[in-house]
Amino acid sequence: MGEHLEAFSRARIPYGAWGSSYFPAWQTSALAEVNIGQFAGEAMNRILGLRRVRAEHLDYLVIGSTVPWHWKFWNAPLVASCLGRRVPGFHLEQACATGLQAVFLAAAEVDGGGNETVGVLTFDRTSDSPVGVFPERRGYRRTEALADVWDNFGFDPATGNAMIATAGLAARKYGIQRAEVDDITLCRYQQYFEARESGFLDRVLVPLEVLNMQGRVMGVVDDDTGVRRLTAGALRGMRELDTCVTAGTQTHASDGMACLLVCDRDKVAELSPRPEIDIRLVAKTALRTSPSLMPEAPALAVQKLFDQTGLGIRDMAVIKNHNPFAVNDAIFAKLLDCDWETMNRSGCSLVWGHPQGPTLTRLLIEALEESVDLGGGYVLLFGCAAGDVGIAAILEVSEGGRQR
Amino acid sequence: MTTAMRSSTLETLGLGTVHGIFSRGALPATAGELVDRVFGPADERGALVISGANGIVGAGKTMQLGARLEPYGVPIVALDFPGAPDGIGRQYPGLAQAFGRGRAAEVMANVVQLRYDGKHLPEALAGLRPRFLLEAVPEVLEIKKAHYDVFREAFPGIEIRSVTSGFPRSALGVGIAHPAFPHQINKVFETVEPEPSAVTQLLWALGLLPVPVSDHWSFVLDVLFCGLTLAAVRYHEATNMPFWKVDKYVRRLLGPNPFRAHDAIGAKGANFLTWSCLHHLGKQYGGLFEPAPSLVERKDSGRDWYPPNHFRPLVNWSLDAAGEDELATRILGPLYQMTALMVQEQRSHLALMNAIGELCAQFGRGMPAVLRGAGAAAGIRTVEAYHVLDPAAAASPWHPEALERLQSPEWQQLYVNAEHDGTVGVISISRESYSSDVDVELNRAIDWLKDEGIERVIVSGDFHLSTQMVGADTTEFFPALEDEQAGYAISRSWSATVRRLHDEFAVSVGFIGGKRCLGGMLELMMHCRYLVAADSAELGMPEVTLPVIPGMEGCHWPFRKTRPGQWPHLLRLLLEGGQVAAEDAVGWLVDVAEPGKGAFRAAWRIATGTGQLPAERAVAEGRLEGVTRELPKLTGTASPAARQAIVETIRAACEATLAEALEVQARHSGGFMTGRECRSGVIGGLAKKTLTV
Repeated sequence: MGEHLEAFSRARIPYGAWGSSYFPAWQTSALAEVNIGQFAGEAMNRILGLRRVRAEHLDYLVIGSTVPWHWKFWNAPLVASCLGRRVPGFHLEQACATGLQAVFLAAAEVDGGGNETVGVLTFDRTSDSPVGVFPERRGYRRTEALADVWDNFGFDPATGNAMIATAGLAARKYGIQRAEVDDITLCRYQQYFEARESGFLDRVLVPLEVLNMQGRVMGVVDDDTGVRRLTAGALRGMRELDTCVTAGTQTHASDGMACLLVCDRDKVAELSPRPEIDIRLVAKTALRTSPSLMPEAPALAVQKLFDQTGLGIRDMAVIKNHNPFAVNDAIFAKLLDCDWETMNRSGCSLVWGHPQGPTLTRLLIEALEESVDLGGGYVLLFGCAAGDVGIAAILEVSEGGRQR
Repeated sequence: MTTAMRSSTLETLGLGTVHGIFSRGALPATAGELVDRVFGPADERGALVISGANGIVGAGKTMQLGARLEPYGVPIVALDFPGAPDGIGRQYPGLAQAFGRGRAAEVMANVVQLRYDGKHLPEALAGLRPRFLLEAVPEVLEIKKAHYDVFREAFPGIEIRSVTSGFPRSALGVGIAHPAFPHQINKVFETVEPEPSAVTQLLWALGLLPVPVSDHWSFVLDVLFCGLTLAAVRYHEATNMPFWKVDKYVRRLLGPNPFRAHDAIGAKGANFLTWSCLHHLGKQYGGLFEPAPSLVERKDSGRDWYPPNHFRPLVNWSLDAAGEDELATRILGPLYQMTALMVQEQRSHLALMNAIGELCAQFGRGMPAVLRGAGAAAGIRTVEAYHVLDPAAAASPWHPEALERLQSPEWQQLYVNAEHDGTVGVISISRESYSSDVDVELNRAIDWLKDEGIERVIVSGDFHLSTQMVGADTTEFFPALEDEQAGYAISRSWSATVRRLHDEFAVSVGFIGGKRCLGGMLELMMHCRYLVAADSAELGMPEVTLPVIPGMEGCHWPFRKTRPGQWPHLLRLLLEGGQVAAEDAVGWLVDVAEPGKGAFRAAWRIATGTGQLPAERAVAEGRLEGVTRELPKLTGTASPAARQAIVETIRAACEATLAEALEVQARHSGGFMTGRECRSGVIGGLAKKTLTV
């Protein structure tokens, strides 16, 4: 391919210095009962320890989360303390775009020369989400109470529509058929279980024991609980909630964290077990589409990204996306002339859930591992986010090959 | 002329041998004589001055020494800078709890609190005739030296000791009496002086534990404790494992929780002291001791090592087998290297070096014992493996040759010594609880005396490190909670050892000179043909309260030596778990109970076979019937199930012949430990706390 395209000249993602928790479904694990910021900090420390990366390498921490948590005011510095490092940091959020945007912000921190190694830590607990109480003096009720997760899913103030309505509207716009959406869904589940059974996910996901106040184990987060095998018959028999949207063809809320490092290219040798693998951040873009058409936004963002880079869908070794609705994949395949079976070969968020902040981070880690297995190449990662936003990025993995 | 397996630790204090105590019939010195020597005669009694008396060390020592010296009319001057917060008054509740309000009030009334501006001593001080200054001012060399100058100018000839945890005597120009935490109750003082002084001997005579060490930086305790802390910090830095979890693994491996200990002492001060010790050691010895960045940060910030209560740990850590190996290498490697260094430098008597870790830093076994258990080859391999992981330590002094003498009596007899004069042998035990190490060493001591042709022996504490005998080391029972065979094996082998005291000597005298003798240690003593005790010594079999079944033949041996009419006393002792004064146990448990020198003399008379002797209470070898037919009325809170199990053991072991009884008792003891009663009791709880990481 000749000259490298790259968004950052010095920033790299060190292969292997990463990991994610499993994403147990909403209200099904010990994560429903703990301070997710503390959990994420301690879990990242644990994951780095397992990867033989000393926490002392961290100079800065970018955290991403979208659901308020106890002591959130203190954000990145507090989470860094839970990780065992008193380093500065920054918190960011933009719904499901958070997990990818955080990586690029970290890269900017590195490329700016201010920090050699920046941690990216994204997390969310959708379970028992907090309820905010907002004085609204002009409002009819004077005071509004808002359950952060479910009330927001149900109402986009900019359009007046629920999240699910955007899937129905987009499906109707593109003439997507229910049968295709069901087929996509079945394929995604099959891909996930194949990846799981092959041991692929063991390289990404780390089982974590959660302790109670007495120091005893109150639960083990070692499964994407809530994920069940679907049959074609069961899927096709599900009631449609909106056009092409059923309980089976949309994702579910879940809890979890995911983390990786971004570092200066000269630092990779210290942080990665396979420093010969060079992971560059090629390009990233975001786009906001017409009101209530969120599922088309990622495809449009990818088109924009291809226009910017001169790359095309055939150049991509790995294609992976955050797809809260299977409709997203159908639209993407149609607009980008892509066989949807070639996407998400190692699983996706349609299957394992939607904790928002860490969703795209886990997807990125899985995609990079997949690319390494394939011997390297371009990785296309994209997804939708609340507000009819699409975000997309291309990364390049120099080489790979699975190691025993 | 006395021959010994190794030198007695008493000799390091200039106090002779344990054998000498018995042959003279008296302790080598008394507190009254030594108070006169240090503070002057009663009509001119001088004062003890403790400077920095409101600090953690100063206040603790004011209480500890004040309580012991008040009966001798020695005024205690608590001296401190103006504005120092009151640390003395805060000691009162603890003092009252220990001694009662009346006695606590007397001790406090004897403390004179004075203030000092750093340059001029208060005028009132002269009237109190200071004779001994225990300096506990901040760890700044210039401040300390100026402090001594002021005192020497005002009171020429005053004895001075510093409590410093690091500065050598050669730097300070005064002797050292470095105490161990917690300062109110820990009796150990590391002392540095050219020859054992009256001050040091006075500490001993007051029931404290002076431990002579050489004049090197940081002495033995802080090399071990600060060294362990550093090893744990470095392990944390290498693996990210949080401090609280490192603590749990270190505790399981060696005993101490280094980080919890810092927080308990007060992280701000303790972090500084640990850093200071390591900083100076690092300057002298290099990378092995160089403070790690995390320790420097804690020193600067004064932060606790454990997270605050509202951030109690949430994510657990565990190690696989390879991880456990790495942990052991990273923790034991530096400690082995440090221990070898101290041995090479002859920093102290090896038994003392071993005891310091156990008595002051919560080591389950002292480092010399741990190293001895590993063996020289394995110890060297561990250090070499550690050097691969931490190359900076490889550049520091490493003396594998120090381990070459591992088979010498100095290494082999860390807990038990034996001396003899050609006729009478003395076995002295310097550990308060009976362990596998003690058991092995006791066997070697017996073998040695037998080889030397000794048929008469006294078994005793060492009058130094073991001031009481508290029974078996319950950590030894942890494997037995899961494995009945392990419990059986411990009971059987330990019983076989103590039977040797009866079977292999023509005369054996168990001597209980300390405050108390309980459980396994009492079982050991009762196997001697005679049992002599100080009249006020408390004797007891607390096993039922833990609960365990006495494993060293306590359920049948004493019954075989006692007339049936006395059996209710023994049953009460075993089934209530209480204590009895030795003078009240004469005839059914004890043969002679005498106050003071009388007990020494009685033991010596029996051992030498001179003068009027008590009749030996022979051990009945046949079956004893009806021991438990009628149980006495019992009090106490011991569990009925535990009592019942002990009753059944007594019945079964007594109804067996002496030849069979050891096996019977061991089976009962081992079987009980895997049961619910024991596993949910004190030992089970302790095991869970220690072994579950």
